[in-house]
Amino acid sequence: MYPKSFEYLRAKSVDQALQYLKDNEGSRVIAGGQSLLPMLKSRLYQPTVLVDINFIPELREVKLGSNGDLRIGAMVTHYDVIENSTIRENAPILSSTAENIADVQIRNRGTIGGSICEADPSADYLPTLMALDARVVLKTTESSREVKVEDFIQGPFETLAEDGEMLVEVIVPPSKANYRVEKYARRKADFAIASVAAIVSLSKDGKVVDARIATGAQQDKPHRLREIESALKGKASKSVNLEAIIGPATEELEPLDDLHGGPEYRKHVLRGMLSRMLGDLLSGKEA
Amino acid sequence: MTRMVTVNLKINGKQYSEEAEPRLLLVHFIRDALKLKGTHIGCDTGHCGACTILWDGKPVKSCQILAVQAEGANIMTVEGLEPEDGKLSIEQESFRENFAQQCGYCTPGFLMMTRYLIRNNEEMTREEIREKLHGNYCMCTGYQQIVDAVQDAQRKYFATKK
Repeated sequence: MYPKSFEYLRAKSVDQALQYLKDNEGSRVIAGGQSLLPMLKSRLYQPTVLVDINFIPELREVKLGSNGDLRIGAMVTHYDVIENSTIRENAPILSSTAENIADVQIRNRGTIGGSICEADPSADYLPTLMALDARVVLKTTESSREVKVEDFIQGPFETLAEDGEMLVEVIVPPSKANYRVEKYARRKADFAIASVAAIVSLSKDGKVVDARIATGAQQDKPHRLREIESALKGKASKSVNLEAIIGPATEELEPLDDLHGGPEYRKHVLRGMLSRMLGDLLSGKEA
Repeated sequence: MTRMVTVNLKINGKQYSEEAEPRLLLVHFIRDALKLKGTHIGCDTGHCGACTILWDGKPVKSCQILAVQAEGANIMTVEGLEPEDGKLSIEQESFRENFAQQCGYCTPGFLMMTRYLIRNNEEMTREEIREKLHGNYCMCTGYQQIVDAVQDAQRKYFATKK
């Protein structure tokens, strides 16, 4: 299987990549290529110009900002997200999420920026990044803006990125609170049938101080479950009746229907996961 | 006709310089331009791992990378496993002794994965090996002897370190 012919431009710096994108209509960035290449082969995408950003060292950096935020370059691989100690110390839920992505080979090549830009409804990172209130930095030759991941993802394979714009960095506010992140799939490397990322902080006397919960593989894009979050916040963790909260809060969901699972099945799986994962978090069990 | 791009890369310690059309996949480049036929093309969709090579020592799927992206890369293919003295490598020897071929098509990919796994992990349980081999599951089932071979190869590798 060959992709349709295209011109190949190898960028050596972010500025050069942005210039290539500006100068070439119909151009597209290739990051790790682990999702883009299958799409090129099946000719789902037929870019006329491919701008390769694999040769830009600054996009592979992980830094801690002066305010404590993690700043992860777009080309940081899933392998690096698992292995990098700065990420694991400041956002352990992100490292745990990367461990569940595809397989060893794909994790060595696939990148966090590429995965976000693909905007697959079942993508592993998205619920986690949404629960973390992460943002992305988008640049053009003239401008730079920050957008919340939650807003950046518009729908299946659709983002807010405009022509000439490139995701260069992911900003993650640190979160060392207790968490759970799980995906349910028939085989481990498959896309999720349901996925949940949940971060819950309890006070010393067992009150829920903060709860941030997001789900993927349910609707056209991953999203936060704010009804559940607000039902939990401020409550004594021991007195929460999870079933009474989860049922109604997921009633309106209209999950995807594909060969991996129908809507009722996906919702059933999601409810089971939420009940078990949040139950663990409310009882204060460490991950 | 799209512009051809010259690709300079090192495979199994040898420097190559060949032209490639941008859409050419790395696995086709290795097999057809460089005539190293040991790396197999299985599913061509990034699932089966028959095309697994080591890139800077780490396993990747060569059907999921463009040849032009391999500029400056340091690659090892299954041909690179064989030591110069003509004996089999630890990985090859373990696969042979444990009858770990199944149909044999996926073997080059499994050998490269084994090369990486036994050198970059503490002693692995069978469950851990099965999990780490996920990216090489091809069309068969079972993989019992392959798990045996990986365990055996790791024992042999550790023995050389003592």
